[in-house]
Amino acid sequence: MPLLHELKLRFASDDDIFFQPDHILHIPVVFIGLTSLLDLIQTKERLTKDAFAKQGLAADDAGLLRQLGESIDTGDLRSAVTSLLSGKMIVFHKPSETFIAVEAASKPLTRSVEEPSDESVIHGPRSAFNEDIDTNLGMVKRQLNSDKLAVKSYAVGANSRTRINLLYLENQVEPALLTAIIGRFESNKELDVCNLQQLSRMLGLPSWAAISPYIRTELPQDTVHYLMRGKAVLLLDRFPCALVLPNDLWSMLAVQNDLNYPRLFTLSFRLLRLAGVLCHILAPGLYVAVVSVNPEILRIEMALTVAQSRLGVPYPALVETLILLFVLEMVMEASVRLPKSIGPTITMVGGIILGQAVVSAKLVSNLLIIILAAATIANFTISGFVNSISIRLFKYVILLLAAFYGILGLLSGMVLVCAYVSSVTTFGIPYAQLARKSRG
Amino acid sequence: MIKVMRRLCRILLLLAAVPLLHGCWDNKDINHRSLPLVMGIAKQQDKYRIYLQIPSSDPQNPQMKVVAESGRTVTEAVDRISMNMESQVDLLHLKVILVEKHFAQEGMADIIEGFIRARDISPKAKLVICNESLERFFENMKTAIAGNQTILCDFFDKNAGWNPSIAQTHIWETFRSIHSYTRDVIAPIIQTGKDTIIENVGSAIIKNGKMVDRINPNETLLYYAFKGASTQGKIEVLDHASVLIVNNTVSHHGKIVNSKPLLRSTIRLKVSVLETRGDPTMASIRQELEEIEAKRFAKLFKKMQLKEADILGVGQYFRTDLSRSELSHWRSVYLPKAELQLTIKAIIQNNGNLKTTGM
Repeated sequence: MPLLHELKLRFASDDDIFFQPDHILHIPVVFIGLTSLLDLIQTKERLTKDAFAKQGLAADDAGLLRQLGESIDTGDLRSAVTSLLSGKMIVFHKPSETFIAVEAASKPLTRSVEEPSDESVIHGPRSAFNEDIDTNLGMVKRQLNSDKLAVKSYAVGANSRTRINLLYLENQVEPALLTAIIGRFESNKELDVCNLQQLSRMLGLPSWAAISPYIRTELPQDTVHYLMRGKAVLLLDRFPCALVLPNDLWSMLAVQNDLNYPRLFTLSFRLLRLAGVLCHILAPGLYVAVVSVNPEILRIEMALTVAQSRLGVPYPALVETLILLFVLEMVMEASVRLPKSIGPTITMVGGIILGQAVVSAKLVSNLLIIILAAATIANFTISGFVNSISIRLFKYVILLLAAFYGILGLLSGMVLVCAYVSSVTTFGIPYAQLARKSRG
Repeated sequence: MIKVMRRLCRILLLLAAVPLLHGCWDNKDINHRSLPLVMGIAKQQDKYRIYLQIPSSDPQNPQMKVVAESGRTVTEAVDRISMNMESQVDLLHLKVILVEKHFAQEGMADIIEGFIRARDISPKAKLVICNESLERFFENMKTAIAGNQTILCDFFDKNAGWNPSIAQTHIWETFRSIHSYTRDVIAPIIQTGKDTIIENVGSAIIKNGKMVDRINPNETLLYYAFKGASTQGKIEVLDHASVLIVNNTVSHHGKIVNSKPLLRSTIRLKVSVLETRGDPTMASIRQELEEIEAKRFAKLFKKMQLKEADILGVGQYFRTDLSRSELSHWRSVYLPKAELQLTIKAIIQNNGNLKTTGM
């Protein structure tokens, strides 16, 4: 029995595996499987029932067992290992030297479908993707009842195999995009994909881009919308988001749930987000430009108030702004990292430190606090966390230029950011492309 | 990885050059600048005496600061002030340029040109003539105001204290008038008042940067009526009523007849009755209004012709009829013999909340 022996050797360092002699009906067999992945009792029950039903169909014992699952060649260690690791059970029939991989009842290792935790929805469909790729695929199919939905499944990685599903609508997707993605999957099959940087490397996407090539969403509703707009969707196993390729500028301003409101509200929500983007990018730069380079553009009353609020502040405007921005970024990062029970504490401490103590200690001017608070709030109006990070980064470019060249710097910073945003392409599709030629 | 590092190094190198190359290391924050609002200019012998009114940004001590210094040029005096102050004097916010009357009568074309040439003074600053010595004016101002530091700016601000009886002329308009053949300007004349802080005592006619005569506030209102900007101005109609101008439109048409310029103008005033004395009819108020305005206008026009200063810009309507060389004699030759046919049409739009009979 070379395969059984080989399996024992292969899993010598893994105590999780069991080799349990047992019977199906009257046939003596050995069950082989991983304790952590499958529920043995249920699986046994199911197998017995199945065997009982198929009793008359086969001539001998081995034939009956073959009816229960897929048989594995005695020399094929690799597919046996894969079956075990993916949660199947192997039934070994000693007399006929037959190995059969049967579907097993899996242990509940996945949470059930829950509400989205990173993208709140008000008055809209509320189920969100979770870690199980099949659940996610099912949710998309539930949402999109179409025979045009194509699903291509890949398992990639040499060390750890990851399942990836590629979804697209046959009559909508950009053919060039599709061939490019499929081509990359075929040629880079051996690369491990445990995180999105590795996925980017596999797809040959730039790794230093300041704008993410994917739109991430945990809402099936949004995913379907993107599919209908001709984008391709990747579902990764153990990853509770759909990755939509390619990203576009519009995804920063539009949320699908907007369309569940009357048009007027949709429009105003989106305008508000646009204002939020501009406010976040420009406000800190504008403060520095106006305070240290071009105070003449302020009305005199305003100029006096600003001068008053900065009285006794030891640092130049740029340093002052950078210090406070640094603290703000730390608060933001900390509140992501913190357990939910401590979250309110940091908010309170941050609020008191930033709002009160810093001002009364005359380290920064209170006007700056107002401006940065407004800018930070504005940042969260942007749809999609990844998009808001890009915008957070661009703010610093504009801030530096504004500190050197004032209003002119603010303007050239905007030009620079616009130029960069326009230059970004994913698989040849520009990030700034807003309208798409409709197909079919 | 090495490629990335090399690229990173290159970017860092470029970034390191930024602080050296931007050339703005002398940017000063707003709290380290003094932002004077008013500049007073007087001339003593051949030296300028410059006064700067600087609002204080200290909330504990909102006293208006006035500093003065003399110099052969305006810049020299400002430089001296800047040298002796704890912060840098920044003229970008200068709103009002107050010129002493004697200096205005001497002619101020030089400093107006200097202001236009200098980049740090806004051409939108207003030119104002002071009827008394600046020393006294600022002394009175200092004792009069405690909290409000922008009082002089507010006085001339369209959104605050301005009304069409106060002339309003920017530096750039004065500069334009110096170089134009066909246009002169008026500038307001102020002094410290007895009850109010500032008192408007009429306007100066400024010809080529020199004050040649003055007109009273009523005539200033007419000036704005001719420009179509007298809305909100109030007119007393003889002893019978006073009216508020609620709308003002004008049309002008100029042509040369027998080498004499003839300007036909129509001024339409929509007015609202504010007060009446006795029991005048609407018709009589309207008629009196038209007559009194026409009379005042004729007087203003005469004064203009006498001083050869075209404050109404009448010459503008003949620029297409005269050659460039003829235009250069506009003030001296054509203006004195110009004829103005003025029609004033008043419409009493409403008579307030009371009914008056005899429309």
